[in-house]
Amino acid sequence: MDKNLLVLRRRVGEVVSIAGGIEIEVMEISRTRVKLGVIAPRDVVVSRKEALATASENRKALELTGAVPQRVIDVLRLLHRQDEKV
Amino acid sequence: MQLVTSESTLIHSPWLGDVDRSPDCELYFPAGLPGFEALRRFLPVEIPAQRPLVYLQSVENSDICFVTLPVLVIDSSFDLKLCEEEKNQLGISAESTPVIGEDVLCLAMLMPAGETVEANLSAVVVVNLHNGFGIQCTPPFEECAIRRLTLSGDAMPQNGWTRIC
Repeated sequence: MDKNLLVLRRRVGEVVSIAGGIEIEVMEISRTRVKLGVIAPRDVVVSRKEALATASENRKALELTGAVPQRVIDVLRLLHRQDEKV
Repeated sequence: MQLVTSESTLIHSPWLGDVDRSPDCELYFPAGLPGFEALRRFLPVEIPAQRPLVYLQSVENSDICFVTLPVLVIDSSFDLKLCEEEKNQLGISAESTPVIGEDVLCLAMLMPAGETVEANLSAVVVVNLHNGFGIQCTPPFEECAIRRLTLSGDAMPQNGWTRIC
């Protein structure tokens, strides 16, 4: 997909508008961080970019459901017993 | 996929069988979980023979069920750090320091890793035990993948887990 970079300067309280009813407001600026408020339709997923890695890990985690190796369960049971003794 | 209606009292989970859907036990994730943002209601399920595993069964999509472990089972010195935003989402005051087991439930997602499993301690699931609200913490990029442990079934070291990265 062809993408362009648009650079805008905004002050606190000012808003960037994106097609599809999405608005991003600069709410607070500190020395190292910017607090943004995002208004978007409910079906639009808004998240930090880091969450994409977690999303991928969560999808991988689902592969385990119903297929937890018995060996793992056995070891966990042993660990649990050790915990109970402490 | 089976959708669970509001009248249903049982969730027919393909993984866990029929799970009693007690509203008192339901956990609510206002933002869902990363990758599953539309799913906001989960039930924590324990199977006695598989303790201390905790299954997080979606109430809204019976096919979705995560396998987790309490973080303290994996790392007894686990230090939970929540930013102001995360505390806000959980309904915890910015000044307070929640205690795992007393104020919050803290779970690590398990992922398959060959014959064994990895525990994701970077993006832990945190639930406020006082109101049932939950989030999955998203670590900053620089902290990703540094807190993942794999279960060593053969060697059985002191706590059974080996840091892999």
